[in-house]
Amino acid sequence: MIRVGVSVGSFVASGGGASFDADAQAFFDRVTTAGGTLSTTEKNATNQLVLDMKSAGIWTPMKAIYPMVGASAAACAQNLKSSSFTGTFSSGWTFASTGVTPNGTSAFLNSGLNASTNLSVTSLSFGGYTSSTANASGDAYHGASPPNYLMQSFKSYNVTEFWRTVGGSIVVSGGTVGMVQANQLGILSKIYTNNTIGGTNAATMVTIPNLNMYIGGINNNGTATFFDNHLISYYYYADGLTDTQASNHYTAVQTFQTTLSRQVP
Amino acid sequence: MIGYILTNEQYTQVQGQYYTEYQFFNCVADINGVWFLFLSDEDKQVVATTEYAWVLDLPEAEYIPLPPPPFPPK
Repeated sequence: MIRVGVSVGSFVASGGGASFDADAQAFFDRVTTAGGTLSTTEKNATNQLVLDMKSAGIWTPMKAIYPMVGASAAACAQNLKSSSFTGTFSSGWTFASTGVTPNGTSAFLNSGLNASTNLSVTSLSFGGYTSSTANASGDAYHGASPPNYLMQSFKSYNVTEFWRTVGGSIVVSGGTVGMVQANQLGILSKIYTNNTIGGTNAATMVTIPNLNMYIGGINNNGTATFFDNHLISYYYYADGLTDTQASNHYTAVQTFQTTLSRQVP
Repeated sequence: MIGYILTNEQYTQVQGQYYTEYQFFNCVADINGVWFLFLSDEDKQVVATTEYAWVLDLPEAEYIPLPPPPFPPK
């Protein structure tokens, strides 16, 4: 079958089929080329996510977005934002319509995104979404270190944390199920838990790791450690977000998860 | 947690090797320095079709992890 497409603005209208945003369609094409498949619901949800992020002005700050759709390594490794930073999964992951789950012992995802090269000490944001109520049995983080730190946890020792090189950690007691955004803008570090500011601290971040950021564990100078076991239904890296942008980001992702019936109430 | 046990030679053969375009092996050492490989059910189905299918015939044992390194990492 020959697919006839007509580009209208940033949309691609395909003959007889659904019309998707051009960036969403490019992502779908990358998934297909990689050997993955997406359901109609997953495509519609992802397309709406792109539209909502663009409408809210948070598409441009994004560096990498992993929607974790398609229930396969080929699909979940793809970056929604661009063809850069395609992830690679180690052994030990489970792939499902709800997202991806590392085994907490050896599994991690190498995002290919070097923190020092692609993020700024005065403007960065990263984190993800989990519907898992698991409480990691030990230190369980996502990111990279040392000698500098850039790490985030969902729920480790019953707290949610954002670790950075200067200022130590910002801790949100009780742990979080849902969305976590670890954010640095200027000298202000914040951790957003769902649609609230869970914690704030002023600290001038002078360096960040010259390492690829990992998901499911920490890149400890090339060796993965501090493995997590939370179901991950979304992950991202971006420039620093304002409070409004972080709130809009949460709203867009929550809508996305709701469409996929994998949201946290 | 039960995992496959690897000799040092077997570890060298698989560590970091890709069994699909987007998936690679990662082994971890236990408290005695023995290498373990953990595969999910999805991993096993895929690996069975590759040149690394032999890992599925390796002996299995209970994994006892190393004590966690200092945190934050130094």
